[in-house]
Amino acid sequence: METNLILEGFKFMGLGMTTVFVFLLIMILCMNVMSYVIHRFFPEPQVNEDPKLKTQQNNKKIVAAISAAISYHRQG
Amino acid sequence: MKNILIKFLTLFVLFTSASLFANEHVVTVEHKVSTHKEETYQTKPFMQMIDGFLESTGIVALIHPDPNELNAKGEKMSDFHKGIGRVIMVLVTFLLFWLAIAKGFEPLLLLPIAFGGFLANIPVAGIAGENGFLGVIYQMGLSNELFPIIIFMGVGAMTDFGPLLSNPKTALLGGAAQFGIFGTLVGAVALSQAGFVDFTLQQASAISIIGGADGPTSIFIATKLAPELLGAIAVASYSYMAMVPIIQPPIMKLLTTDAERRIKMSTLRHVSRLEKLVFPILVLSLAILVLPESTPLIGAFMFGNFLKESGVVERLNDTLQNALINITTIFLGLGVGSKLAADQFLVPDTMFIMILGIIAFSVGTATGVLMAKLMNMFPGHKINPLIGSAGVSAVPMAARVSNKVGMEYDRTNMLLMHAMGPNVAGVIGSAVAAGVLISIFK
Repeated sequence: METNLILEGFKFMGLGMTTVFVFLLIMILCMNVMSYVIHRFFPEPQVNEDPKLKTQQNNKKIVAAISAAISYHRQG
Repeated sequence: MKNILIKFLTLFVLFTSASLFANEHVVTVEHKVSTHKEETYQTKPFMQMIDGFLESTGIVALIHPDPNELNAKGEKMSDFHKGIGRVIMVLVTFLLFWLAIAKGFEPLLLLPIAFGGFLANIPVAGIAGENGFLGVIYQMGLSNELFPIIIFMGVGAMTDFGPLLSNPKTALLGGAAQFGIFGTLVGAVALSQAGFVDFTLQQASAISIIGGADGPTSIFIATKLAPELLGAIAVASYSYMAMVPIIQPPIMKLLTTDAERRIKMSTLRHVSRLEKLVFPILVLSLAILVLPESTPLIGAFMFGNFLKESGVVERLNDTLQNALINITTIFLGLGVGSKLAADQFLVPDTMFIMILGIIAFSVGTATGVLMAKLMNMFPGHKINPLIGSAGVSAVPMAARVSNKVGMEYDRTNMLLMHAMGPNVAGVIGSAVAAGVLISIFK
């Protein structure tokens, strides 16, 4: 009877470790497939530098216009 | 203006008359209660009252325990557990206070647990009993395994799977470290076979889950399989998790060569938002297909993570990460503390649980490191074996330890983010291992 108990422990170990590894291996596989699919079909929109530059230039123009208006107002 | 004044006055008159009526009502009720009391209360001489009071003090209760006093489960206790045992347990909780405050050992949980233990060992008051407030807290959320699940949601909301997604194969390290759980299970069974203790297979499994180095999982399994050992298991689990920076480095250094400790890992690639959003659903779906028994834990964990990664429910995410997890931690700690009553904690089993717990941690650390060395034998990017130890969960402490040990040998070697991969995989791994144990005893 008593030796059975340790044997049971080893059975638990076999089943448990197998399940953990099988689960994680499937998970790794799925993760790789998922990132391949996502990068292939749903790539993140590329961040363009141009619009930023444009807005910066626009901002400069606006600042220039405002300061011109202020100085005109003060003179007037 | 006049109109408003009139309205105000009418309201005032109404209100005062209403409260007068209410007062009269209360007076009549009180009167009834007091007459009722007079009927049952028997007058006693003053000396007898003093005697009775002295009989009910804590000092008397500790020195001459009431022979009819029952423990939280309604069973009789030995005089040792009622008297000196309680004093010892109070000293044990003081030791836990010291560890939490002076040494910074997981104070967020150890302090509520220790104070709960302090309260649970008060004679006469029966705070941990069925009707005491600790007993009520225990019934409310621990005996039905609710609190650990809520904690898991909060942990999920705090977890970033980015490092794991950018280097998926490190998940295997988190799997290898679960060997600590099953190795300890065999150890616990062997101990009881050798005749030192008498652990059933359920108890042995509940103890071995300490090796998962994950507090909520340990508590979840312990309440399910062996609630009588909950106090010892939770204390062992949290105190060893706090001691990870002491336990792990010697084992890591013993098992690795100097060259291995200096391995630099390639930088992690960028992980897109969509990947992070799909991941929780992916893992949960796998858990549903492979091991539904593990879905309470994994489901709660992934729920929290999904809310966080969705990016549209910042308020819920914030509540999960802060308010909810804090409130639950207080109740969980007190509820676990109620199991530190002398009659449940001061038993030989506790000592063996402490020993088995540290073995579980060490074995898990060692197998994680060895797995990394094994993976390095295959072609591909090399892994620094120091991150293998982070495969025992203990997020994020174990990952920090990997980083610290790595920096000791090469100041420029940042392993923290690399170690977070196996670290969070370890949480998934121990939840799966827990699911296996539950499914066996179903």
